[in-house]
Amino acid sequence: MKAREERIDRLVALIPWGLGLAFGVVAVHLITLLATPSLAPNSAYRRLAENLPLGEVRLLPRATPDNPGPPFSDPFAFLAACRFDLNEGPLRLRAQADGDHPLSVSVRLANGAILYSGADTQTPHGRFNILIVTRAQADAIDESRETLDEAERAAAEAAELRLVSPAPKGFALFRLLALRQGEAEAIGAQRAGFECKEEKPPS
Amino acid sequence: MRALIIVVFAALGLGLAATAYALRGEPGFDSVRLGPWTTWPHLGGADIDPYERAVVASEGLAPMGVNEGLLFVARADDLGAPLETRCAYRLAGTDLPARVWTLAVYRIDGRPQPNVADRHGLTSAGLLRASGGDFVIEAAREARPGNWLPLGDDPNFFLALRLYQAGASALSKAYEGLSLPTITRGDCS
Repeated sequence: MKAREERIDRLVALIPWGLGLAFGVVAVHLITLLATPSLAPNSAYRRLAENLPLGEVRLLPRATPDNPGPPFSDPFAFLAACRFDLNEGPLRLRAQADGDHPLSVSVRLANGAILYSGADTQTPHGRFNILIVTRAQADAIDESRETLDEAERAAAEAAELRLVSPAPKGFALFRLLALRQGEAEAIGAQRAGFECKEEKPPS
Repeated sequence: MRALIIVVFAALGLGLAATAYALRGEPGFDSVRLGPWTTWPHLGGADIDPYERAVVASEGLAPMGVNEGLLFVARADDLGAPLETRCAYRLAGTDLPARVWTLAVYRIDGRPQPNVADRHGLTSAGLLRASGGDFVIEAAREARPGNWLPLGDDPNFFLALRLYQAGASALSKAYEGLSLPTITRGDCS
């Protein structure tokens, strides 16, 4: 009888340890999971950051059986990327669709979050003119435009899509589709129209 | 004190193991199945869940944004049998609600599958269709008349269907009325 009671006491004494273990497992799991996008050595941003200078547009290797290009990408898609750091100033993205090849642009943060994605059919005349800024830069731009009259301000705002980024680092992806054989040359020429340029912060 | 050290190390080990397990395989828990096709409606949007985001980062993926297009993946035929290159498959469908779409064959590691034709997929732009817009695609290792989707020599493969600039029925996340191609297994060698 006494031995049984002792066994029960020992089991009861284990309960706090078991609860502590469960809490610890859940905490470690959640912390590591939430940290993965920022710390993953193989993330899209980290791989680009290895050899793509800020503000340079580069055509990424197209998906082929032999090519270690972007994982699991469409063999019919040409991807061009440019990396940004808004600490250096706002970033202007420009691209123009030719009407034959569907074009889309996405803006992503270093942790992989997609800040914006859009296709050429959703922009005026298939033209992308995107300004990526921090909140402080957006406020400074608004302040600098206060001297403009209403029509000028409206024109300036209508000409561009302004994205306020919650984090300074990220990258933009231009995705151009070549739907028919032998279109690589045309695609290469169109890629020359992609622009990714740091702008002077408003004073 | 000894018990505390054991609990701390066990929590660390089990927590890390749970994370490693969560990062394996397909992303997140909110995939949607439409016949043999699977999609992840939140992968390209702002409402992506932490599990999906972690998988995307660890795999180095850059999924399409929701306004760019939608991805559907098939690893099995209509009856649930895994796709094998020793078999031929017939994909039958009708017009898909997108500006353009592409269908590509991948090895299990995510690279396009090499094949004798050196062609790794088909697009809606180059497809032969019936007058009503219906189409049939023959996926096989040997050349076929009509819309031939060449398969390679790796034993297994999967298919990726991308709807670029998808229409409302595909973007609703309910996918009401969205009809994707059927995948029927033919002869196997």
